Amino acid sequence: MNTKAGPVNIALKVLFTLMYGLPILRIVQTSFTSSADVFNAQSNLFFRPTLQAYVNNLDASLFIALRQSVIIATGTTVLVLLVAVPAAYGLARVRGHVATIGLGLLVVLQTLPQTAQIIPLFQILGMWGLLDTIVGVVLANAALLAPFATLLLRPFFRSVPIALEEAGAIDGAGMFRQFASIALPIARNGILTVSSITFLLAWGEFLYSVRFLLTPANRPLSVLLAMQVSAFGIDWPGLMALAVLTSLPILAVFLLTYRLLRDGLTVGAVK
Amino acid sequence: MATMTSGRHGIIRVGRRPGRDRGDVRAQRNSLRRTVFLVPGIALLGLLGVYPLIQLVWMAFHRVTSATINSGPWEWVGLDNFVQGFQLGETGPAITRTLVVVAIVTVFGMVGGFAAAVALRTSGWWSSALLALMVFVWALPPVVNGSVWKFLLSDNGLVNAIVMALGRSTPIPFLYDTNWALLSVAFVGAFAVIPFNALVFRAALLAVDPEIFEAAALDGVNRWGEVRHIMMPSVRPTSLVLLVLTMVYAFRSFDFIFVMTYGGPGTATNTLPFLGFLQAFARFNFGYGAATSVLAVIVVLVLAVIYARSIRKEEA
Repeated sequence: MNTKAGPVNIALKVLFTLMYGLPILRIVQTSFTSSADVFNAQSNLFFRPTLQAYVNNLDASLFIALRQSVIIATGTTVLVLLVAVPAAYGLARVRGHVATIGLGLLVVLQTLPQTAQIIPLFQILGMWGLLDTIVGVVLANAALLAPFATLLLRPFFRSVPIALEEAGAIDGAGMFRQFASIALPIARNGILTVSSITFLLAWGEFLYSVRFLLTPANRPLSVLLAMQVSAFGIDWPGLMALAVLTSLPILAVFLLTYRLLRDGLTVGAVK
Repeated sequence: MATMTSGRHGIIRVGRRPGRDRGDVRAQRNSLRRTVFLVPGIALLGLLGVYPLIQLVWMAFHRVTSATINSGPWEWVGLDNFVQGFQLGETGPAITRTLVVVAIVTVFGMVGGFAAAVALRTSGWWSSALLALMVFVWALPPVVNGSVWKFLLSDNGLVNAIVMALGRSTPIPFLYDTNWALLSVAFVGAFAVIPFNALVFRAALLAVDPEIFEAAALDGVNRWGEVRHIMMPSVRPTSLVLLVLTMVYAFRSFDFIFVMTYGGPGTATNTLPFLGFLQAFARFNFGYGAATSVLAVIVVLVLAVIYARSIRKEEA
């Protein structure tokens, strides 16, 4: 294969590096700028760095929001795994109409606009007394992300050779034992990939949290960010500092699971 | 589809059908017993996926306001909510705007994704670092990407600084002009989807047998020839599925609209899904918002059917 870079290739790489690198640089740079300097620094790379925006952000409400984000993202990931792992295994092994209907339903649920689901969910969660509770948001998030997680995981279970499970059956392993000690370990990478993506998506989710969590003390970081950015007269350094703080956990998860994301993301679904 | 069977890359995996040529009766029984693994999923998605969808349709045919949402029974109004949307001139323009967004995101998302994949196919540190950077930006919360683009596209922002350095005297009103605002949110949508599409295309390109490139080089095929006659044909099966997925993504996207314009200025970025949201939660007319959302759901259902059929076809 011709793997040397030609001129067009290099031009493309420059273009994409600027397109995806500059926004990141601007977030970080602006977060270290003082409010007075923000638009002077725009065309000027030399600016006086200051931690003021971070200091302003670091108050009790930030830590409460951080805690809420952790609870929501972790809770959603756990619930999604509890549902999607067995469902993906089941759909990889069940045949006939059940599999067809199940897959079709998952695709439909995955493609629904979230803005359409939020209208009935607002009423249903209200009826169940789950508005303004973390449980309500976690349940809604899990229902939003489980179809995607299941579709992404199913191919990992399909690649587990059925002969291995049959050998297990001959050795006396029951159905659940075959699932737990044969299929699960082989599909481990898939489960890690799906956990990582579910966590990333749940961390960034804000629409359900904006609508369902009415008490300010219940709101996660993504909502703080969404509300500041739509406020009148934005304090850009403050907002960018908040964006950096919101993204740090994403960076951690990304660094830990990048290889899995790169290779596993494209298996069966889309964000 | 043989090229797509290599490992975990590629969007579709061609697996052997489990247990097809073994004792069919036993396989049938095993298959049936394994339905029990679906029970947690059926419970969760039944209660919080299918039931809300039915409720949405039900609400669309009733008058539901903030006063009556928690107390039934709702008044049946037939198709009034749908008719009202068209009569007030809200639904029609929203459909047009949605189509504009879908067209821009799809074209830029597919072309940009393929171009990035061609560039990233080469080995070396730059390609590896750029791929990691793009996947990281993809993984960032939409509110983060939306905020930074709102900043970059503001009057004093970086994009306008470049535009004015190139000789324009006034800043371009990216987010304040009705036409520019729609283009801006669509562009950011494309920006956010390119990394994923690049990953998918890249996986398809890496699956091409290196000997094909070697043979082409011996025949004196130039770089454009490689792209045109080797790479484009080899990603074609993947692109059909990816095209549908990108269109679904573009159609249902609302996060950049929420963060960057909140549907404005005026109604300029009220796409169909976002319009339904505003009707329900800004005007508290839930039945009306539900009707608009039902129209949005019907469109994605068409796309979902195409997607589901392509999955079945690849696996059969």
